[in-house]
Amino acid sequence: MSACTPKSLASSGQKPIQEMCHPLGAEEAVLTPSPDVRNITSSIGEKDQILPNGTPVETSSPSSSSSLLNRLQLDDDLDGETRDLFVTVDDPKKHVSTMETYITYRVVTKTTRVEFDLPEYTVRRRYQDFDWLRTKLEDSQPTHLIPPLPEKFVMKGVVDRFSEEFVETRRKALDKFLKRVADHPVLSFNEHLNSFLSAKDLNKRQGLALLSKMGESVKYVTGGYKLRGRPVEFSAMGDYLDMFTQKLGTIDRIAQRIIKEQSEYLAELKEYGPVYTTWAASEAELQGPLEGVASCMANCSIALDELTQDMSGDFLPVLREYVLYIESMKAVLKKRDNVQAEYEAKLEAAALRKEERPTAKVPTDVEKCQDRVECFNADLKSDWDQWQNNKTQDFRQLLTGMADHNIQYYEKCLAAWESVIPVLQDKQPQETETEED
Amino acid sequence: MMADSGPKEVAVIGNTELTSAELDNNIINTMVEIEKGTSLLRKMEISVAEAEKRTGKNTVNMQEIYTVYLIETRPVDALTEGITPDSLWRRYSEFELLRNYLLVTYPFVVVAPLPEKRAEIVWHKLSADNMDPDFVERRRVGLENFLHRVASHPVLCNDNIFYIFLTEDKDWKEMVYETGFQAKADSRLKAVNAAFRVKNPDGRFTELKHYSDELQTVLSQLLRVRARVADRLYGVYKVHGNYGRVFSEWSAIEKEMGDGLQSAGHHMDAYAASVDDILEEEEHYADQLKEYLFYTDALRAVCRKHELTQFELEMVALDLACKKQQKEELVTGTVRTFSLKGMTSKLFGQETAEQREAKLQVLEQQLKEGEEAVKEKNTETDEFVKTAWVDIERFKDQKDRDLKEALISYAVMQISMCKKGIQVWTNAKECFNKM
Repeated sequence: MSACTPKSLASSGQKPIQEMCHPLGAEEAVLTPSPDVRNITSSIGEKDQILPNGTPVETSSPSSSSSLLNRLQLDDDLDGETRDLFVTVDDPKKHVSTMETYITYRVVTKTTRVEFDLPEYTVRRRYQDFDWLRTKLEDSQPTHLIPPLPEKFVMKGVVDRFSEEFVETRRKALDKFLKRVADHPVLSFNEHLNSFLSAKDLNKRQGLALLSKMGESVKYVTGGYKLRGRPVEFSAMGDYLDMFTQKLGTIDRIAQRIIKEQSEYLAELKEYGPVYTTWAASEAELQGPLEGVASCMANCSIALDELTQDMSGDFLPVLREYVLYIESMKAVLKKRDNVQAEYEAKLEAAALRKEERPTAKVPTDVEKCQDRVECFNADLKSDWDQWQNNKTQDFRQLLTGMADHNIQYYEKCLAAWESVIPVLQDKQPQETETEED
Repeated sequence: MMADSGPKEVAVIGNTELTSAELDNNIINTMVEIEKGTSLLRKMEISVAEAEKRTGKNTVNMQEIYTVYLIETRPVDALTEGITPDSLWRRYSEFELLRNYLLVTYPFVVVAPLPEKRAEIVWHKLSADNMDPDFVERRRVGLENFLHRVASHPVLCNDNIFYIFLTEDKDWKEMVYETGFQAKADSRLKAVNAAFRVKNPDGRFTELKHYSDELQTVLSQLLRVRARVADRLYGVYKVHGNYGRVFSEWSAIEKEMGDGLQSAGHHMDAYAASVDDILEEEEHYADQLKEYLFYTDALRAVCRKHELTQFELEMVALDLACKKQQKEELVTGTVRTFSLKGMTSKLFGQETAEQREAKLQVLEQQLKEGEEAVKEKNTETDEFVKTAWVDIERFKDQKDRDLKEALISYAVMQISMCKKGIQVWTNAKECFNKM
């Protein structure tokens, strides 16, 4: 661990303020650790991240995380050759016991990491287990942004917890969660993740978990310390998150409204087509054309139904997930503020004491505090940049997905109407039903 | 004859004199398609060029605002003789008068309907107003369509009253009344009575009446549901406009994603705006359906006329049969049926031979007249059935043609809407990809 001399908090981590990039911009430049830490980098390997006695790693030196980040930045996306941990969540199955009914998911891990005994694992986990994992991660890595889980509670009676759609939506979210954790340079080495992925039976020690959670939160909700100078980049992060949440909320409302309007449109459309069929029954020459129109509308109704389902299943859950993500991020920012506030208070107290007794050494707890602040800032900063990247990708994917769904809908309708034209013109009757894509 | 501004107490809103230059300026000309095999339209182009508001005193001497329509006629080409370019103003009630005259005068013809007097089946609450310019415009088109229907009808196009309606402004109304058509009109009561009591109507007419009822029901329903569908579609498109706004706001807090979001937002706005044109076009389809909805009334009118003539024939035949039987009873002296006369003669004594002879003479005369009447009615009925059925076949062909065209153009509209949708979302997707 590097011994840092107490200095005023002009920067986060080792970098002077001027060199810090705008938090709203994705990090293009490589975050290089400052010179005095570079020599230490080589000696500190990945092994140090997980202390065998289970000590939380919040005191890990910033150098190791930035060296890892370094490695990451050189390979722009993680789909490259550096990835050595692959996880998948699939195959949901229903379990019925006398006590309860629940769903488990298969979690498959493939890895070359030495931290794992075997190169491959297959285990079954339920939502509770994911929730346990996330809590453990939050506790043991409080300076990092932990990806969100899908919503825990669902209103019984409103949502069917065992419907195919709900289970699939949840599975996708759990898969995403695990992949994000596995891709994280620090989180992926967490021992609890290891257990989650490999242990036959998750001995969850829930009681202990609860206790440690309380302990940690006490540590970070240090009461009474007033934050003097929050570095501008963290204020910017907070502001951005507030505004972004607002926009997400609006988009969610709009998307829901559209789905509602489309459902009502669909309801009317379902009444509309059959009237043409009724009419066809009393006609002779017009019977063929009218029935053609009716079946065309039936096809359009199906296409519209699919569109609404797709949007409900693919679009809304991702939006909601990000809102949860942002909530947890704001909590982490708050924690950071508290750690800094504590440090400032202790520093001031120490300075006062120094005035009284100039020969007194700097108390170690002040040094510890400074370390904590700097580590926190560094971790947060690198996580933030990664989050921004992921966010851009996720939203690009989400919005292009929305565009694709709509394009597919219109293409299906187009095909239906084009195929009915020859029927209307009374040419050689072709297929009046269209083939679905 | 140049256009007169009508009755002296009429004032034109906002305008004192309409110069021909102003007419030229305002003209929204819809040129007519010449239908093959028609007499009038082959010679004459008819258009309802314009609509205008007027004020005047109505029958109870109150001020009212009404709309007048400019009817323009001109020869088809330079070689056509006997037609001079003309124009005059008519209001809706005059069209109604013309139609009523045609209905009464040619009861075997399925007479084209007029466009709605009041806007009834509307998709957007705004257009429920009679003075709404869109409604007035659609009515103008409907009136022109009516004139074309009449002018292209093999029988109606030769009618003089119709010709004068198009060409002569003065005293047209008086001329119509002078034809005495109103006296010829069958009362509704008579028609309903006949419908109930007719014994042997022609099966084809019964079927036709049934068909027209079914068509009316289904078209009413279709138009209602279509209006609701249009309403919902409007909602879907318009909500997407909100994406435009939020993407714009969002782009302001983003660095990289900003441009892509902003331009995508513009496409969402364009998408939302596009629905207005789409629905405007669909109104034309709705109007085509409405015409045939209103046509069902004309079909039923022809069926009613048949029932009436058939009923009258049956009455006359029944009367004849009665008289024949009376004669027989008188001749043979047997009283088969109960009659008051029979009773009274039984009670108060027989008739004399002279009295009987006199009665017989009267009966003979009546029989002769009765037989004439039956013959006449028979001819009338046959004639009616023949001519009506010719026109009904003509109508059926026209209906099949027109509605097929309407369905095709509706499908084309839908295709265009889908293509536009694909275009917009593809553009938006490109913007998203650039984020």
